[in-house]
Amino acid sequence: MENLLQSVNFLFFLFLLIAMVATQLFINGIIAGAIYALMASSFSLIYNIVKFMDLSPGALFVVSAFSAYVFNVLFGLNFFLSLILALIIVSVVTIGINKFVYKPLRNKNANNFILLLASFGVFLFITGFILLIFGAEVKTFGLPIIKGYEIFGAIITKTQIILIVTSLVLFLFLQLFMKTTRLGKAMRALADDRQVASALGIKVEKTIAVTFIISALLAGIAGILVALEQNLEHAMGFSVVLKGLTASIVGGIGNVPAALVGGFLIGIIENIGIWFLPSGYKDAIAFVILILFLLFRPRGLFGTKTREEVSG
Amino acid sequence: MALEAYVIHLLILVGIYIILAISLNLAMGFTGLLNIGHVAFYGIGAYTSALLALNLGVPFWLGLLVGGLIAALFGLLLAIPTLKLKGDYFAIATLGFAVIIENIFRNWISLTGGPLGLPGIPKPSLFGFTFSGFSYLILVAFFVFLTYIIIKHITDAPFGRVLKAIREDELATSSLGKNIVKYKTQSLGISAFFAGIAGSLYAHYITFIDPSSFTILESILIISMIIVGGLASMKGAVAGAIILVLLPEPLRFLPLPSFAIGALRQMIYAALLVILLIKRPQGIFGEFSLKKES
Repeated sequence: MENLLQSVNFLFFLFLLIAMVATQLFINGIIAGAIYALMASSFSLIYNIVKFMDLSPGALFVVSAFSAYVFNVLFGLNFFLSLILALIIVSVVTIGINKFVYKPLRNKNANNFILLLASFGVFLFITGFILLIFGAEVKTFGLPIIKGYEIFGAIITKTQIILIVTSLVLFLFLQLFMKTTRLGKAMRALADDRQVASALGIKVEKTIAVTFIISALLAGIAGILVALEQNLEHAMGFSVVLKGLTASIVGGIGNVPAALVGGFLIGIIENIGIWFLPSGYKDAIAFVILILFLLFRPRGLFGTKTREEVSG
Repeated sequence: MALEAYVIHLLILVGIYIILAISLNLAMGFTGLLNIGHVAFYGIGAYTSALLALNLGVPFWLGLLVGGLIAALFGLLLAIPTLKLKGDYFAIATLGFAVIIENIFRNWISLTGGPLGLPGIPKPSLFGFTFSGFSYLILVAFFVFLTYIIIKHITDAPFGRVLKAIREDELATSSLGKNIVKYKTQSLGISAFFAGIAGSLYAHYITFIDPSSFTILESILIISMIIVGGLASMKGAVAGAIILVLLPEPLRFLPLPSFAIGALRQMIYAALLVILLIKRPQGIFGEFSLKKES
């Protein structure tokens, strides 16, 4: 009898432990997912409107984080001022990239692989520059470590809550912007058909520039959030832009709201996945999901594109 | 003497990259497969051959062949899920493949040594003669020559003309009764085979490999080589490899810390790639450029 009681007790504790670990992994997945969702919307805005896979948001993510670090930590400026300055820098950089790289390529009728490759070049150039200036060692904002809140045995910090809420609020704003404002409508018209939009008097190049800025702001805010929550490294942008890309394909390309679902899904799956695999496999998990989706459901969960547009 | 060793070292690297560039050119330039994951085949060849030599004492010559074959096998495996995908989706799937393979090199510690890599890979030997320095250069030159001849032969043959036809107009080619998927698969398999050979040559030359030699950055470097030289040009791939290996070498003599030299190298490659894509996408000897599919 006593034995039975003991084993029941043991099983109960085991169950509790598993539940706690699972909750923690789930929460970690939500936190990662919030970032991926931001990166996915950044990526899919450009993919839908300018029609190519752009990796430069990964670089802007890093530029933004390092700019905020310079203003806030090195120059001692107020955090919100640093944030705004960093976002201004990111906007200027993205306008520069569009003007000197993407626009000339568009004018030459470059196909979307050339644009993808060029964006890879831009990404490598900018991250190389950051490495040159700041070196390879990891930087941190040096926020005081505060004890997190406990939810069902899992820990979540204030920064992480801010991160999730910011991501959701930005997402909501983006939806409102796309649905209600003139510019947002122009962007959607461009996404549907560039020639018709142009014939209707929509300024194509201006709208594209705005698209790049909004995309850069999303990536920039994501970069600062990650820098606050973890730390800064010149190489931090690559994995995150790939997750954003994966999330937007899994959610369904051609459908910006789906990027949110895709982002959280990738975040949760990879964090549950490292329960079974070493954490170094996180990127691999995301890509296995991507390849599975491309194989079996190329239009993603909620995508509007038909199979023919993805595979030929 | 030190200068001589340095020149030999550079030439060996040039040779290995020529094999990589020519082999990628078969898939990308001639067949139009936008493969960003070529580095994965290079890494698979290197790890296969190194592991065979270290764990089973397999001689270099057999390891090289098996390395190439295993890489080719992965090429065929990659072809199954990806070949139906369109341009940029195929590119992203191959990028994903390379990241997955690099993740495995880094994390399957019991097999690959993880981030610490595999040290002490033996240099090749034949009848008691060990290849190193100048004799290794001759060995690499031999494989460069072999690769060049074989791929030149393949692309000049009717098989190669079908590949080019697929690149130019897939629909028309398939309406002529050609099995597009079969041709593309074979092209990717052969391309992967030679990348595997290059990997084996690299592993047994440096005698140490770790995952950092097989990151996606290497893929971009190889792609840049064939874009510099010109897609679908044999001469171009050779020229591109020579130019891109030698171009950042002067940096080595600057009094800078190694991370800064690495950063500058990366920036030079990236800037060169972007400028070429804008100014001269057909490269030096290119016969076609990647225009918009209409």
